[in-house]
Amino acid sequence: MRKLFKGSSGVVKISKGFGQKGYSLPPKPWLVVAWKEVLEAFRDRRTMLNVVLLPMILMPLVISLPTLMLSPKTIPPKIMVVVEDPRGMDLAKEIEALENSSEALVSIVTDGGNYTGLVLSGDVDLIVDIPEGFYENLSSGKTGRLIYYYDPYGARSSVAMGVVQRVVSEYSEEVLRRRLEAINLSEEYIKPIVSVAVQVTSTGEGATTGEVVTAMVLPMMVGLIAITGAGTFAIDMIAGERERKTLEALFTNPVSRGQLLLGKFGALTLLSLISGLATLFSALIGVGFAITSMSESLAAGSVPQLMEPSRLLYLTLGILITVALGGLTGNAVMITAASFAKTFKEAQQYVGFLTLILVVPMVAIPYAPQSFHPVLRVLPISSLAMFARDMIVNPGDLGAIATSLIASILYLIVFLWLSAKMFGRESVIFC
Amino acid sequence: MVAVEAISLTKAFGDLLAVRKLSFRVEEGTIFGLLGPNGAGKTTTLRMIYGVLKPTYGTAKVMGVDVRENPIEAKRKMGVLPEDTGVYPRLTAEENLVYFGKLRGMDEERLRKRIKELLDILNLTEKRFVVADKLSRGQKQKLAFARAILDEPPVLLLDEPTLGVDVMSAREIRKMIEEYAISGKTVILSTHNMWEVERLCDRIAIISEGTLRYEGSKEDLRRIAGKREFEDIFVRLVRGEVIEKAV
Repeated sequence: MRKLFKGSSGVVKISKGFGQKGYSLPPKPWLVVAWKEVLEAFRDRRTMLNVVLLPMILMPLVISLPTLMLSPKTIPPKIMVVVEDPRGMDLAKEIEALENSSEALVSIVTDGGNYTGLVLSGDVDLIVDIPEGFYENLSSGKTGRLIYYYDPYGARSSVAMGVVQRVVSEYSEEVLRRRLEAINLSEEYIKPIVSVAVQVTSTGEGATTGEVVTAMVLPMMVGLIAITGAGTFAIDMIAGERERKTLEALFTNPVSRGQLLLGKFGALTLLSLISGLATLFSALIGVGFAITSMSESLAAGSVPQLMEPSRLLYLTLGILITVALGGLTGNAVMITAASFAKTFKEAQQYVGFLTLILVVPMVAIPYAPQSFHPVLRVLPISSLAMFARDMIVNPGDLGAIATSLIASILYLIVFLWLSAKMFGRESVIFC
Repeated sequence: MVAVEAISLTKAFGDLLAVRKLSFRVEEGTIFGLLGPNGAGKTTTLRMIYGVLKPTYGTAKVMGVDVRENPIEAKRKMGVLPEDTGVYPRLTAEENLVYFGKLRGMDEERLRKRIKELLDILNLTEKRFVVADKLSRGQKQKLAFARAILDEPPVLLLDEPTLGVDVMSAREIRKMIEEYAISGKTVILSTHNMWEVERLCDRIAIISEGTLRYEGSKEDLRRIAGKREFEDIFVRLVRGEVIEKAV
């Protein structure tokens, strides 16, 4: 890994060209500082590993692995159908048909043997026992009882239960339909009440479950990434510089602290954007895997509706503004914390704590009661999350959008002022 | 002409008075030695002059520019080698110089020429593309020295420039200091090294417990104290034994 960045002699192998670019930079101190910060970040193996490479590998795994593992198509569960009632073979054949769609590996036997041993050893994920008298009960209008033997701690057992119950449910509905036909009754007779849900939205348009989930989760996810990506870089740029004792020499230059901070801020924004995009990209890969592995009925209609032009504009604007404001606010908070801390370790603790504080409102907003919304629109950070939500869910409510946007901008100004104040202190160099 | 003037410089850290009403003048084109034991206030004094510490009271002027009133302009007149070299470990030797050169407003042509010249003089040319982390202590110190004189500022402030440096590197740095002063520039040198002071400095100030014990030429100091050994004079002044005679 070390050789990727520099040889054993310390001669740089990569980013050498970017280093040479320094000569031709325009005489803008903030730009020079930003150049140096980006150059240093690319040379720091730990930072790049933690902030870019790790999320790119981990995020798709974290998102897609559970879905992949729980998808019957990834690893079909092993199901054994024990047919003790020969006339129950119809249902057994229906379950066996799962093999055609590669959702299960099914074996049909007449004697299952040691059920417990088979399930616990993992030879079989689920045993479906069709006991004697099962068909008799069905044909005489009684309830036919199936017995499932499964491992409650085994994920594959749960997957097997899911696919079998789907088949059994369809079979049961068919039996019910025949029974009703035989006595001339309609399905409506046994369903006296049917619920009809009418969606009430500010746009007056309906939304699919997938649309609502995506609209709620996507801006929050983007906001979270924008806010939390900066921590590692901020620590290195402020507390790291102090620990490496380079800040004092830096401050001897004829450049104001404001210009130096602006340069660091610019680099931080660029780096957190790279980190955020890497995380977002890998998250989308993960979601893509997850959707592919879901059954078709679940995946259908989750995302495409958001691509309607009227909603797309608000979604795009919502995401862009949330990323910009969230990123800048997060950077200002992180710089403040890193400037306040006396050591690198202390900075890590502050940043970790603050990240949690920043994350909680973002995560909590989708679950907050409607009556809390006016307050949440004017509280720090939650105002940003509410803005993202309003842009997607309430695009017609301009008052709400303006309130949360203005509050977010005001908080950004406060955090920027605070970061400049902290960075301007003598103790930023000497603790 | 006076290059640097400290006017009642005072610095308190809470209840601790680190520097007390320190005043001295450094003439242009001279090497001025700032002497004192550990914790005497030498570094704090320098830091107030080069603008990273704000004086509690008093001020300093560099080439006539007040460091409190116009810190940016004052910093333009100074090159600084702080107590810690402050070189960036992940940047190459060349990139370290480019960074500071650009921050000091040097244009590309001049910067390229000057970096090549300094790396040659300080025998660092072959380390040009090597990250500073891989340089020896002496090489880092030479790099930091090169950084301080990059844009040839009229005043150079050096805090222990040869401390912990190997003999060869220390010799090169001392030679550069002498040459810098010969070219008409002013150098303020904080050091523990008596031999260095005796050899390099035109005038000296001795500080102890944040207070100025002596300011003048080394010859005057020797004559007043009546001793030949420089180290003895220093020890006696720091102890306060010859304060009345000397100041």
